[in-house]
Amino acid sequence: MKFFHTLSKGGLLVALLLLSNFAMAQRIVKGTVTDSETGDALIGASVSVVGTTRGAATDIDGKYSIDVPAGSTQIRIAYTGYDEQVIVLGPSNTVDVSMKAAGVLEEVVVIGYGSIKKSDATGAVSNVTEKNFNKSMSVSAEQLIQGRAAGVVVTNNSGEPGGGINVRIRGTSSVRAGNNPLFVVDGVPLGGGETTGGSNIERIGSQAARNPLNFLNPADIASIDILKDASATAIYGSRGANGVVLITTKSGQSGKGLMEYGYTLGVSHIAKKFDLLDARSFVANWQALNPGADPITVNKGSETDWQDAITRTALTHTHNLSFGGGDKAGNYRFSLGYLDQDGIIKESGIKRLSGRLNANRKFWDDRLKLGTNLTVAQTLDAGAPITENAGYEGDAWLSALKGNPTWPTHNADGSLFQLKDATGGLINSEPNPLAMIELSDDATNSLRMLGNVNAEFQITKNLSFKTVLGFDRSLSSRKNAFSRDLSLGPAIAGKGRLFTTDLENNSNLWENYFTYNKNFGKVDFTGLLGYSYQKFDSKATRNTYAKFSTSDLSLMVNNASTAGLSSIVNSSYTVDELQSYFGRVNFGISDKYLLTATLRADGSTKFGPDNRYGYFPSAAVKWRISQETFCPDVFTDLGLRLGYGVTGNQEIPHDLYNARQRVGDSGIDADLNVFTGGVSNVSFQNPAIKWETTTQLNLGIDWGFWNSRLTGSIDLYKKNTQDMLVKQFAAQPSPGTFFWRNLDANIENTGVELGLNLVAVDGDKFDWRVLGNVSLNKNKVKSFKGILSTGAINGQGLSGAYAQRIEEGQPLFAFFLREFAGYDANGIQTYVGDLDKQIFVGKSPIPKVTAGLTNQFQFGNLDVSVFFTGQFGHYVYNNTANALFTAGSLGGGRNVTSDVPTSGESRLNAPEVSTRFLEKADFVRLQDVSLGYNLPLNSKNISSLRLFVNAQNLALFTGYSGLDPEVNINKQIDDIPSLGIDYSAYPRARTFSVGANVTF
Amino acid sequence: MKNFKFFLLPLIVLGIWGFQACTNLEVETTDSVLTPITGNTFAGDAGALLSSAYRNLNQFQDQDQVYSLTEHTTDEMIPPTRGTDWGDNGVWRTLHAHTWDATHNYILGSWNRLNGSIFLCNQVLASTMPAPTTQQIAEAKFLRAFYMFHVMDFWGKVPFRNISDGVDVNPRVLSRSEAFDFVEKDLTDALADLPALSPGGDATLATKASANALLAKLYLNKAVYKAANPAGPYTFDPADMTKVINHCDAVIAAGFTPDPDYFNIFKPTGTKETIFTANGNGGSPANRYHMTLHYDQSGWNGFTTLADFYNKFENGDQRKGKDGAKDGTANSGVGYGFLVGQQFTDSGTPITNSRDGKPLVYTPDVPLAGANTAQGIRVIKYHAGSYGKYIFLRFADVWLMKAEAQLRSGGDALTTVNTLRTVRGAAPLGSINESSMLDERGRELYWEGWRRNDQIRFGTFDDAWSYKSVTDPTKVLFPIPQQALDSNPNLRQNDGY
Repeated sequence: MKFFHTLSKGGLLVALLLLSNFAMAQRIVKGTVTDSETGDALIGASVSVVGTTRGAATDIDGKYSIDVPAGSTQIRIAYTGYDEQVIVLGPSNTVDVSMKAAGVLEEVVVIGYGSIKKSDATGAVSNVTEKNFNKSMSVSAEQLIQGRAAGVVVTNNSGEPGGGINVRIRGTSSVRAGNNPLFVVDGVPLGGGETTGGSNIERIGSQAARNPLNFLNPADIASIDILKDASATAIYGSRGANGVVLITTKSGQSGKGLMEYGYTLGVSHIAKKFDLLDARSFVANWQALNPGADPITVNKGSETDWQDAITRTALTHTHNLSFGGGDKAGNYRFSLGYLDQDGIIKESGIKRLSGRLNANRKFWDDRLKLGTNLTVAQTLDAGAPITENAGYEGDAWLSALKGNPTWPTHNADGSLFQLKDATGGLINSEPNPLAMIELSDDATNSLRMLGNVNAEFQITKNLSFKTVLGFDRSLSSRKNAFSRDLSLGPAIAGKGRLFTTDLENNSNLWENYFTYNKNFGKVDFTGLLGYSYQKFDSKATRNTYAKFSTSDLSLMVNNASTAGLSSIVNSSYTVDELQSYFGRVNFGISDKYLLTATLRADGSTKFGPDNRYGYFPSAAVKWRISQETFCPDVFTDLGLRLGYGVTGNQEIPHDLYNARQRVGDSGIDADLNVFTGGVSNVSFQNPAIKWETTTQLNLGIDWGFWNSRLTGSIDLYKKNTQDMLVKQFAAQPSPGTFFWRNLDANIENTGVELGLNLVAVDGDKFDWRVLGNVSLNKNKVKSFKGILSTGAINGQGLSGAYAQRIEEGQPLFAFFLREFAGYDANGIQTYVGDLDKQIFVGKSPIPKVTAGLTNQFQFGNLDVSVFFTGQFGHYVYNNTANALFTAGSLGGGRNVTSDVPTSGESRLNAPEVSTRFLEKADFVRLQDVSLGYNLPLNSKNISSLRLFVNAQNLALFTGYSGLDPEVNINKQIDDIPSLGIDYSAYPRARTFSVGANVTF
Repeated sequence: MKNFKFFLLPLIVLGIWGFQACTNLEVETTDSVLTPITGNTFAGDAGALLSSAYRNLNQFQDQDQVYSLTEHTTDEMIPPTRGTDWGDNGVWRTLHAHTWDATHNYILGSWNRLNGSIFLCNQVLASTMPAPTTQQIAEAKFLRAFYMFHVMDFWGKVPFRNISDGVDVNPRVLSRSEAFDFVEKDLTDALADLPALSPGGDATLATKASANALLAKLYLNKAVYKAANPAGPYTFDPADMTKVINHCDAVIAAGFTPDPDYFNIFKPTGTKETIFTANGNGGSPANRYHMTLHYDQSGWNGFTTLADFYNKFENGDQRKGKDGAKDGTANSGVGYGFLVGQQFTDSGTPITNSRDGKPLVYTPDVPLAGANTAQGIRVIKYHAGSYGKYIFLRFADVWLMKAEAQLRSGGDALTTVNTLRTVRGAAPLGSINESSMLDERGRELYWEGWRRNDQIRFGTFDDAWSYKSVTDPTKVLFPIPQQALDSNPNLRQNDGY
């Protein structure tokens, strides 16, 4: 208590003084070693004194006794199949140790409706546990595994806190927005829809919704398992085609209760800025392009760095408090998390308060186990007006890049500077970026609750039954106001605008399944049979308000009658259901041959009445060669896996098969005309529409050498998507321009994945582990009749421009451009071929190779982790440069990068979409460097104290001229998604953080 | 535990019950109305669908899509690429240069919009919840004819889908001649049941006047639509010209007269010229001034006319334009008609071009690419200060159609043309031929969406002009969009593409 008191008052440094308590005389330490899960005694566990040769083993009751010489402070406990532990000795001579089952070979992976020893897994499954999570501050779960698992490409769409994240497992397999994997949190599959409102503001552009996974506090996550091949994902049937990510949250530990508290302070600043012209050279170069013009036209006399003006050094605070405990009969864990992250663009950021409870308890001689997992999270997103598709006027970031550096940020009277014409009228097309941020407000308030209660009953020794009731409810309200004082576009300037979006999503789950385990001599059998029902309903309401009598943003939002005009834009409410039957059998024969077969039947209201149920089978075998007598002893593990399966994808809109009609959106146009929507057809009568089918063949080898110091696996896969669900042009005349149908076309992904885990040095004082992964992916569209254009390019003079096309024989999202051939004598762009003919240029935005490399070092109590990630062989289209960094833009009085004045381009050149702006996107990022120190403590109250410092995005090695080649702005056209286009991406931060975790 | 068996039974029962289907997976229709199809009818609301069919007319007001096909392809409008502005992936340039292809965005967009609107009209006619009234049937037929007229005019063939045709049915394709007959029948059927329109009345609805005007246009172009070769030659049958004159006379008889103040036609104040307009729900003529005016006049600094076209006007002709009032009220600095030379603010001071610091002086000559920001004569009909509803059909068009029919059938076209010229303040012509007839239509109807139709009929569409060198006669038809060919195997690409 005294220590705790001191700590709380005097700070962490005092704790260091405790180090002086080390030295003690020789003594005898005794204790019991038990299994943390069952509480059973472990017999024959080895106990040794670190730094000496002294050792002992536990007896039949798990008890040990060992002589500890003077000066020694640590004992090591090891037991096959369990994680080794090093215990720092305190004053007590009794040290009971609770061992956690795991170990490299006996790692357990979650496979959906159960878990399995990794060595018995027949499918391609990656398992990332907390130890190997990204150490840096992560807002959401996907960031924990970014770069950590082979074949899993996690891309932050931009640097925005809480912004969207693109997760692709084994490539992109369809031509729709629904390419993210299925996320399952503690057994509850999440719906694929958005949980926060996007926005679309005239003349500024649209914004994507926030990452729906933001509600999960990463500090609550114990492990993430990624099911990659179809034999593993087929148990999720019509939702398995993009892979499945199973998130397991932390639960309480057996033994005495623990309380943990962690705090992290992060400091972020912009990692890279564009090299723009300063005020002086801007004016000089403008004059050079406009001979004879009076510089007063553009020179307003100040010197402003607009990138600095709207960015800031941003602080992040995270607090995590948890307590938990357990015994043989059950455990519990409760946690509270608070995140307050400011974005590096002013006014933006995310705040999250989350609470989580995991509890379970066994009854009736452990035959009945009741459990619950519950998460409640309140998230407040503050957005900056940075969009995906801003046009001529630009959004806040584009305005900062093109903003005239001679403008002041503020007038002499302290008001915001806004550009005026000769007669004093405001110019609405060249907004002050700082004014855009300060004279607007964008707040999204979300509440999400996810949970389940479950009961597992051991009916007989071999048969158990589990029922799970799950729910996922989210409420979100977005309010986006633009003051009439903001000189931007005809809709906002002098009028003011407010947009509101309210979303409500509900999903309810009921699952029941039987598990049967039996050993028949040499055959181990496990069978699973289950039923699942899940219902999703989602509501949305959007409103718009205009012609405000106030400039006060708070009043605009909170006293919306200050608007002279208001209009409901639209509302919607849809209900979908999914009903499934599933089964799985596992055979293990002599521990050498393992066989798994699964079948899931999914009935979904997304499918037409002619095809209500889809059937998704899979089968896989594994041969554990290391169990054969002929296998050399050098292999501690050697296994060959072969699997094949069929999975589906049902991420399509609600009811595409009944002929039905809705009234289209109403609204208020820029001239304040209120318009109403007309009745329009939603879809054709199309009873045959069904799921998209993906078949996948996987061949894998797992190995362990040198006493498992080098373990790893290699997987080869071929994934083929058929009955492709495409929103395509209808044969006119038609109820709608587009309709959804299953196309007789294929998308093929082939690839190789390698995961390696090396214990390079395994010493008493020094450990060095290397974790690496490399994946190769190749993507091709086959037998597709038709063309789909996507990858919209926006900006001045780029309306209707696009850069990608989906066509047979090309990879998905292949770049379709003009081939730039330099400038002619007049500084006008020339092309290989015709000016107005775009061609495939043989470049793809899909990385050929992705890789991650982690080095973990342990020097006694000090640990260091260095993580590099990289992507290679792909291209990014620099739409930002296309829209802004041209001679014509400079000639028209907009700022540009410093290379533009000498590029040889004429100010009369039209920078059409071409390979001029297509750049190699290869990069290596030093993503995460962490240094942690576990203070050796000697306290009854504090069992551990860890201090750490961390750097995130410390260095980026790339030839890309934009800020960051890891970028994916949504540039879809007619719902056909795009990939690898950089446009006004929220700049990425470099973050340094310090923090401490204390366990009481 | 002994009493666990007590629980075992209910648990197994519960488990087995759980395996029973909870749901028959019938979808709940919660935010839309089911409109099942039964034979050739469907459960639609005729009135609501008819308003949607009217609403779609507002799309013609956008500066792109349908409008761009009717104007940028002609000798009266040019979309110059100005440095970084209006390149737009060549979507404008290719229209003016006649180098478009089957993947052109606006050709595709227009195809989808116009044909989709035709289907909407089919739905009005097939509705049962409630079924259309006699007048609504007539309105739907008029609108279907209006949309189909454009499809026939642009592409020379018209796909058609019955209400009962399912998702896998490939729409049949009407030839241009069949489409003509279809449009003719729809308009003829509609004429009797449409309400009469008196000048100044509600021109946003289909009326006898609009049906007569469209019938006149249909017969005037019959030679084109029935020609063996879409590019001509065209043979104008005097019987058809008589029909044109009769339908024009029916409009004239309803009391429509030319407005003595030409630019009053485009204002919201009453005019006796308006026959058929968009209703303004979901679009506005504001695009028409935004698309042409310089940035320093609150425009987008886009489209201009060509010097040769401007030179067709004589001084004194009202239609050539006039200065704004420059009285300090909003937008009063902007003139009407053709804007050329120094431009002024609302208070009458000369504007300095904020892009290059020089006086904002519009100059007549303008290239298709590499133009500077001040090149090209701007054109204002719908004025930012006060614009009325967007006009599709108006009296002077009808009057000149009559004159043209007279010209093509040996009547007294000169008197007819000169009557209008006198109202417009232009000197009477001494004689009239095809060329001067086309010029007169240009002077009256410039930038109103009919130039392509007129140029094709007069055979000048494949001529070369200022910055257009392609003289390919197959360009009188647009290509069937590639996506349409891919979606309907019954469609065959037009010659030349």
